[in-house]
Amino acid sequence: MEHTYVLWVLPMSTPEILEDLKNDIVSLDFDRVVRDAHRAVDAGIDPLRAIVEGMAAGMDVVGEKFERGEYFLSDLVVAGAVMKEGLAIITPHLTEGWARRLGTVVMATVEGDYHDIGKNIVTTLLLARGFEVIDLGTDVPTATIVDAVRQQAPHIVGLSALITVTMPKMGEVIAALADAGLRDRVKVIVGGTPVTDDFATAIGADHRAADAVEGVAQCVAWMTPLRER
Amino acid sequence: MPAFRDTILAMLHGDPVDRLPFFHWWRHSQIGWAERAARNRGMGLCWQRPPHTTTLHNVTRTEVHDPAQRPGLHRVIYTTPLGSVYQDEKREPGVGHWHGLRSWRDVTPWQMTRLIKEEADYAVVQYIVEHTEYRPDYFPIEQAQEWLGEDGVVVAALPHSPLQMLMIDWVGSEGGRFYIHHARYREKVDALYEALVKNYASLYEIAARSPADVVLFGDNLDGVLVNPRLFQRYFIPPYEACAAAVHDHGKYLAVHMDGRLNALNALIAQTPIDVIEAIHPPPMGDLAIRDALARWPRKVLWMGYPGSVYTLGPQAVRAHALQLLRSVLPGDRLAIAMSTENLVSNANLLMLTAILENAHLPLTPEGIDGIEQHVADLAG
Repeated sequence: MEHTYVLWVLPMSTPEILEDLKNDIVSLDFDRVVRDAHRAVDAGIDPLRAIVEGMAAGMDVVGEKFERGEYFLSDLVVAGAVMKEGLAIITPHLTEGWARRLGTVVMATVEGDYHDIGKNIVTTLLLARGFEVIDLGTDVPTATIVDAVRQQAPHIVGLSALITVTMPKMGEVIAALADAGLRDRVKVIVGGTPVTDDFATAIGADHRAADAVEGVAQCVAWMTPLRER
Repeated sequence: MPAFRDTILAMLHGDPVDRLPFFHWWRHSQIGWAERAARNRGMGLCWQRPPHTTTLHNVTRTEVHDPAQRPGLHRVIYTTPLGSVYQDEKREPGVGHWHGLRSWRDVTPWQMTRLIKEEADYAVVQYIVEHTEYRPDYFPIEQAQEWLGEDGVVVAALPHSPLQMLMIDWVGSEGGRFYIHHARYREKVDALYEALVKNYASLYEIAARSPADVVLFGDNLDGVLVNPRLFQRYFIPPYEACAAAVHDHGKYLAVHMDGRLNALNALIAQTPIDVIEAIHPPPMGDLAIRDALARWPRKVLWMGYPGSVYTLGPQAVRAHALQLLRSVLPGDRLAIAMSTENLVSNANLLMLTAILENAHLPLTPEGIDGIEQHVADLAG
C-alpha cells in the first residue's frame, strides 16, 4: 500500500520568531541566529522589536545565568558574538539608531594597555541594554578620551586596565577630565582585575565594576530615574 | 640562618622549616642597593630558565622590522608547505637590553596580531607544531645554579601548556577571539590542541631530567578566563602527564596561577601539581591564602605579593603583609614572592623585607605583634 504524505509548513508567528531569536542567543548558536534573523526580516517584524524583544532579551538571560554561575565569561563573549551576527542582518532595516535609548558611554582601555576582553564584553552588554557605546579601543591616550568626552558628551566614561603599571592612567584620565572642566558632566566607572575599590576611590572614580554584568547594572542604575527602578 | 635554597626545598619535601621563605624572581628584580639589602636580610632569588632548545623542521622563520614605517613593530613570519602565518609584536624600549624580552618597564612584547587569525591558519600552525623538535640543553640551568649557589632556586621553565598556547599566544583573547573560535571551529581547535599534547610529551621528559628541582608551567591561569569546563577538559590532562614525568625523577611541578582561582579550587585540588605558583590573594585574586592552604592540603603555595597593594605605598604594604601573616598561622607550606608581575619600588621592597625577615615559623600572634613593633621602631 502506498502512502502519500503532505507536509504543511506553517508560517511562524512573530512571538515564535522573537522567542527563537532569544533562544539562539541563550544557546550560543551562530547558525540559528542567522536563520532566525532572516526570518524576522522576511516576516516584516519591526527590527527594533526583533532586537529588543528577541536578541537583547536573550542577552539578559545570558547575563542572569552568568550572575548565577551557570554561564562563564566565555559564554558571555560568545553570546555577544552571536548577537553581532544577528544584528548584522537586522540593523540595516532599522530606520534610526536603536542603541540610544538609555544613554551614551565612552569606553576605552587606557594608554599602554592592550587588553580588551573585559571592555568588549561590557560594550556588548551595554548595547544590549540600549546604550550607545563609543568604543575608543585599546591603548587610548588620555587626551583622546578627554576629546571624546568633549565632542560626544557621553553620560558615562568606562575605563579598563589589566596591569598594575597602566592603572595609574585611569587616575590621569579623571584628573584630565577635571582640568578640562568635564568631570562633573560624566560618571566614571573603572574596571579590570587589579583595580580595587580603594584604588577607584583614591583616583576619584564614581564606581569600580566588580565584573561586566555588575558594571553594566550600575550604568543602567545611573541612567534610570529613581521612580523607574 | 639556613640557606634560602635549603629552606624552600625542605618545604617542598614536607620537612619542617624555621622561617617563612621569601624571594624575588630575577626577572622582576631591580638589581641595586635595596635588592642587595633585602637579600642580605634573607630574601632568596629564583630564576626561570628553559631546559630545552627548539628546532623547526621544514618551517622557515623570518623577522621583518621597518623602524621608519612601523616603529617598534616586529613581524615574525612562519612559512610552511601548507602556507604562511605571521604575528606582529610591539616591543617597548628596553627589550633585549636587560631582562630578555622585558622592557625597561618590565612589560613583555604585546602581540598586536596573532599567528591564528582565521580558520585556515589552524592547519599551518598545526604543521609547525608537528614539525617542532625539542632537544635538551641544560646549560642555562646549570649556569644559573652555579651563580646562585645556596642563594636561590632555578626553575625549569616550560612553554605555556597546550590550551594556554592557543588562548594566550596563538589565538589570543582580543575581541574574545579564542572563545569564538572554540565555539565555531571546535574541531580545528581540538586538533591543534591534541597535536601540542603529543608534541609536549618529549618536553616533559627533558624537563624532568634537567638539573632543576622544580619544573614550571608559566600558565597565567585565571579561573574567570579559564572556566571549570575548559580546565577539566584541556588543562588537567597535560598537568597530569607532566607531573608523572617530573615525579618519576623526584622533581616537583609548579604552575603559574596568578589570577582568580576560586572557581577552580576544587579542580585544582584534584591535580598532581605540587606548587601553586603566583597565587594572588585579594584584592587581586579571589581566594584568601588561608583558604587556599585549607583547600589544597597537599600543595605548597609560592604566593605572589599583589601589585595593587604596592600602588598604595609602603604603609599599605605594612598593613596588608601583617594581616596576611596573621591569617595564615602557623605559616606552613607558604613562600612569598615579592612580585610575579612587575618591578617593585625600593621603598615597598624594603618594607616587605622588614616584615618577612622576622617571620619565624611557626607564626604566632605574639610573634607577629613583635614584627609589627619592630617595623614601628624602624619607622620611628
